[in-house]
This record gives sequence, C-alpha cells and structure tokens, in this order.
Amino acid sequence: MAREYLHMAAFVSYGEALALGLASGPACLAACGPVLIPSLLTERTGFRPHARYLSAFLAARLVGYMLFAVVAWELGALASMLPAPRLLMMGVVYLLLACVLLWYAYSARRSCAQPCADSKLVQIGESRNRGVAGAAALGLLTGLNLCPPFVVAGIRAAQLGSMAAALVFFLVFFLGTSIWFVPFVGLGCIVRNQAIITVARMAMVLIALYYLLIGIAMLLGKKTYGY
Amino acid sequence: MKLRPILGYTAAGATLLVALLTPFLLMDSFSKGFIALGMHVDEVYTGGPKVRTIPMGAYSIDVHRPVYPHMLQSEKPFVQLDWQPVSALPQHISDAVDIDGDGQPDVRVSFDVPRDPKAPLHVDVDSLNPRYEAVQHAGKEKYSRLIVRVDDAILVRVPLGKP
Amino acid sequence: MATNARTLTLTRPAPRGILRSLLLTLPILIWSPLMLLFSPGSSTKPVWLISSAITALFMTALFFMMMRTHSTYHWRRIFFVSLGILFPIEFIHNLFVMRGSMGIPIEEMIAGRTPFCFMPIPLLILPAAFTRTLVFPGSIIGGIAAMVGLWLALTLVMGKGWCSYACFFGGIEEGVAAIPPRAKIRKLDPRWRYVPWAVLLAMVLLSLAIFEPAYCMWLCPFKAVTEYVAARSTIGLIQNVIFILLFAGLVIALPFLTKKRTQCAWFCPFGAFQSIFNKISIFEMRIDKERCKPCLVCQNACPNLSLSKESIARGETLLSCMKCGACVDACPRQAVVWHIKGTQIAWKPERARLMFLYAAWAMAIMFGGTIIAQGIATILHFVV
Repeated sequence: MAREYLHMAAFVSYGEALALGLASGPACLAACGPVLIPSLLTERTGFRPHARYLSAFLAARLVGYMLFAVVAWELGALASMLPAPRLLMMGVVYLLLACVLLWYAYSARRSCAQPCADSKLVQIGESRNRGVAGAAALGLLTGLNLCPPFVVAGIRAAQLGSMAAALVFFLVFFLGTSIWFVPFVGLGCIVRNQAIITVARMAMVLIALYYLLIGIAMLLGKKTYGY
Repeated sequence: MKLRPILGYTAAGATLLVALLTPFLLMDSFSKGFIALGMHVDEVYTGGPKVRTIPMGAYSIDVHRPVYPHMLQSEKPFVQLDWQPVSALPQHISDAVDIDGDGQPDVRVSFDVPRDPKAPLHVDVDSLNPRYEAVQHAGKEKYSRLIVRVDDAILVRVPLGKP
Repeated sequence: MATNARTLTLTRPAPRGILRSLLLTLPILIWSPLMLLFSPGSSTKPVWLISSAITALFMTALFFMMMRTHSTYHWRRIFFVSLGILFPIEFIHNLFVMRGSMGIPIEEMIAGRTPFCFMPIPLLILPAAFTRTLVFPGSIIGGIAAMVGLWLALTLVMGKGWCSYACFFGGIEEGVAAIPPRAKIRKLDPRWRYVPWAVLLAMVLLSLAIFEPAYCMWLCPFKAVTEYVAARSTIGLIQNVIFILLFAGLVIALPFLTKKRTQCAWFCPFGAFQSIFNKISIFEMRIDKERCKPCLVCQNACPNLSLSKESIARGETLLSCMKCGACVDACPRQAVVWHIKGTQIAWKPERARLMFLYAAWAMAIMFGGTIIAQGIATILHFVV
C-alpha cells in the first residue's frame, strides 16, 4: 500500500514536471531562439544535419540542466538562489555565450551550403578533429541560463526530498520543453546558399554583442532595464 | 499568351485603385481590422486593468490587477496603485492599502506630493503582507518598482514578493 | 565586357510637350489639394492653408517635371530630401512644445503616448503571434493601428517603394549623399548588402526573447533626430550613445563618402522586411537584355546597391530594389525600364512608369506631403 502510494506520488510529481515543461516550452524557445535559429541556419540543407544539430544541442542543454541541479542541490541553493549570486552567474553565462557565438560565427565561414564530403556539424576551434560541435557548446550554455521556468522547476524539484528525485524531475521537465524544439528540424528544408549562411553568421555576431553588453552590465552590477 | 499581360495590367490598375481608396476607405478599414485582432499593449507598460477603487475621502486609490511579465522579460511581477486626483492629495501620503481586498492592509505606501508637477517623486513601501515586497526610496528606474505622475494621478508600482 | 561609361552618349528622349505634360499632371493637380487642403480634419488656420498650398504646388510641380523630362529619380529625390529635412523639424518642435525635451520619459510610455513609427512593425509580429501582446508603449487606437493600416496600404501599392516614397528618414542620407560631386569610397564589398537581413533576423529573435522592440531600444540611428528613451541607467546611456554613433556613421559620414544610402542599403532591418513585399508588388525594374551592353552605369547609379553583375545578366534588379528610378534614368541605352509583371519587358515602359508613379505619388502626397506641409507650417510659425 505504502509502495503504491509512493508510486502514485512520484507519478503525480513527474506528471507535474512534464506539464510544467510543456507549458514552459514556448518561453524556452523564445530564450533559445536568438542562439538556435542563426546557428541552425549555418548548417547545410537537409533534415539529417538539422536533426544531428538539435540532438547535440538538446543533449548538451540537458547536461547543463543536470549540472546545475546537482551543484545547486549540494549547495542547498536549489530552492532559492539569492539575486546577487544569480545575477553574477547569469552575467558569466551571457559572456561565455557571447564568446561561443562569436567563435561559432567565425568557424562557420567554412560551412557547406549543400551536402558535401564533410558531414560534421560546425566545429568551433581550429582543429577539425578536436573541435567541439558548436551546437553542444551553445546547448550547454543555454541550459545554464536561469530562465524563470527553470527556476520554478528548481523550486519544485527541491521539494522532492532526494537528489535522484530532483534529477528525474528535471529530466522530465526537460523532455517537456524539448518537444517544442522538434519542429525546428524543418528548417532543414530551407535551401541554403552563401547568402543565408552569411546572414546567419552576421546575426550571430550581433546577438553575441548584445549578450556581451548585458553580461558585462550584470557583472558590474549595473541596472539593465528591469534588473 | 495574352492572359498574363491582361492580369498584369489588371493588377496594376487595382494597385492604382488601392492608392486612390486608401485615404478614404482602406486605411481606416485596415486600422479597424488590426484593432479587431484584439491585441493589447504589454501590461508592463500600461500597468494592467483597474479592478477596484478604494475611496479615501477627497481622493481615491485605484488598484490594478497584478501584472506578471512574460517569462523572459527582466521585470518582476508588480501591482500598480493610482492615487488621484493629484490636486486633492495632501502634501504627504502615508496610506495602508488593502491590495487583494481581503480586508487586511497589505502595504503602507508613503510619498511626498510636491507642488511642482515636474519635481521628482520617491516612494517608500512597507510590506505588511509577504506577498508584496518592501521598497525604499524608489524613483522611476524600473517598470516594476516606481512612482510617477501621469496626468492627474500618481502611480506607484509595488513588486510582488515570492509566492 | 564593360564599356567606359564616359565615352557613351547619353540618349534621352526629347522632353515631352508642355501641354501633354500638363495633361498628364492633371490628376495630381486635383489630388494634391484634395489631400492637403480639403481632407476631413484639415485645419483651416491660415498658416496651415498656406503651407498646404505650397506643398500641393510643390508636389504638383515635381510631378510635372517628371512628366516633362521623362526622368523620375532627380525629382523624386527633391521631394524625398525635403521630407527627410522637414519631418525632424516638425517632430522635434512638437516634442519641445509638449514635453520640453526629445527624451521620452517613462511617464509618457506608461500613458501610452509614445509615437509609433513603422520601424518596429516586423519586431512586433512574433510576440503578438505568441501572446497577443504588442511590445510597444504606445496606444493601439489612433497610434499603432493607424500606422499599421497606413503601412499595409502603402506596401500593397509600392512594395519596397516605401523606401523611396514614404520613409520619412531616408531623405536625410539621400540628401547627404547628393552633396559631394563624386564618391570618395568607390569599392564597396557586396557582402554588406546582407547586413540588413542579419539585423532583421537578430532583432526579431531578440524582440521575442526580451519582449521589447530590440531595434528601437538598441540600434535605431534615427533616435538622434526624433526621440529616444530618456536614460534612466548606465545601459540607457550606452543605448543613446549607440544611436548617435550610428546616425553619424551610417546617415552622415558614409553617405557623404560613398554617395550611397548606406543606412538603407547596409543596415535598415525594416528595409529588408519591405524587400519581401517586392515579391508581391506588381511593379518592378527590368533590363532589356537585347539593349543592355553591361556598362554597369546602372549599378553605379543605384543608391541602394540593388544591382549586381549577376542580376544585370539575369535582366533584373535584386530584391532590395526601392523603385527610385535612378537606374532607369542613368542607363545610356534605355535598357533599364519600368515594368509591370506579366507584361513584355520594354514594351511601352513609359506606361508602366506612369501607372506606378500615379499610385506612388498619390500616396506620397497623402503621407509625405502632409508631413512636409506640417514642417513648413512649423517654420512659418517661427518666421511669421
């Protein structure tokens, strides 16, 4: 009886996580959009490259989620993170995101518009063999972004009583948000040419400059409009 | 095939017609069509709709519905309170306000009312209910925590605390 | 093989007869006062009547010259530069009368009294689609709705011709570009043409992410000559510095050095957005490949860099064509022509030009003409 009750309680919690994730999906899309869409547009035409990109992006995003959950649980900070350290962490994440975006935009200069012999995703870093898939780096950093849905999920997860339960909660929440990313595989049907790749790279630079400025402002404790 | 040129000239003629009808009909129709879409200006700017009025003798306090910014906006949730008319306000305001209408005061709002309408305003808010955050000497730096004079009212925005 | 343009003899058609030109101008002669003097809601104050009459005559005279000389660009540019100069005069004057400053205080934003220009239109689409919310501190009735209605109507008529007949900002750089006799910077990397699209993509995505009109908050150069959000923080100050630098660079310095509309060609996201509507616009510029011997005079004449060797070889302009007529007027072989889609290229191009000009000029009088009249009225207030 007690075991059945526990199973039911777990089911309800994870159902809640899924619902929260599904409800937060549009917000996650909006937050990740400036990073995701230009970088997707630098990949070559085709559903497969886009599916690979999204897989790498989402997997790394999950790693980012889990990393934060583990660290915050250990620090006892999952339920409430004070504004000042939260702002500091967000500032650092924004700066890293800006750097990776700029590096990605530079690395994508050799991107193939059409299917070509090189089947790798855009790699950041000079050496093709040792480079990191840009998608993974961007996914990790967007996963560390403390957007409000993520914070709400964190608060709820902290109430579950064990780190394992919190991690599973985050995983289910992540799955709920990730469903919204699946349609972006459809961007693969947009035929790429050098113009689109160039536009995407330029957009990444502009977005990176924005994140750079906001990140620096957060680290300096300056008032951004709102914070 | 002559159909294409006919269609082309017809479309060009229609364009000319659109140009002639715009000031008399089309611009108005398009505007009304846009209004009919039922969109609204972001409540972070407008403060949300008014839900209650608290009479305070010569003046009144309008309580607005709490505004919850969209998830990624960097503003906190807040509730807007309007003191009006400004002409009827005493030189110093220190009002306990029941925001949620449960009969218990939730915040105490204090500010001076300068005679010069362009003089800067500052507000202190003491929180009597943990649902609302205290504010000290706020001006108008943030949408979610400010005091401003708009026409014949003084608007105060009180950020919401943690639920 | 390119031909040295200087050895070509410019063959332009002989000026149209005065009577015939007047006849062709007659519809505009009727339309102008109708729009400026007799439209509902027009003021009857003497200053307004005088300024409207001046504007009506001005617009009619320009159209007459377009008819007489068979050329478009030069006369359109006079209107457009006038619009670009007089709009800020009238707008800034109104700001100082209303609030004593060009800075928008937060009170005005909360009250929904921020004037809405057309630039944020593409930025509002995604947030509105997701949440039915307009992320602009204006009012819908009379403000945002009116501008959206106007924009839709003008775009249906002209496509990206908006940038040559309606935009009240472009005239500033077009005027600056006209000042020097020749360009000091002539070699222009064609990849700069992609920047407006990149700015559009970035600003649309950021506007959805932060739920603010990102371009207006960060990158609009014309805040320097209209209004800007009064700085309430260090970030606000940085934003205002960016506006001034962009204006100085893109609207003044680069047009002067290149004799091109560099803000429009290399930056403006609204221009990129309007380019999409060139796909549905019935009017376009085309190149008669039989007459064209690629001398690239048209490419050099285009203020918006909307012609490339490849596009000329295909017989068309790029999607960013503003329909200003510069290429048509510059072509020494009359190979570049106005064209109605679906019709034969270079068959009665003057008919296509006339049909476009009647529509575009009618809208220009309605919109830009009103602004010019208001600007003249403002000046008369000071002088008289």
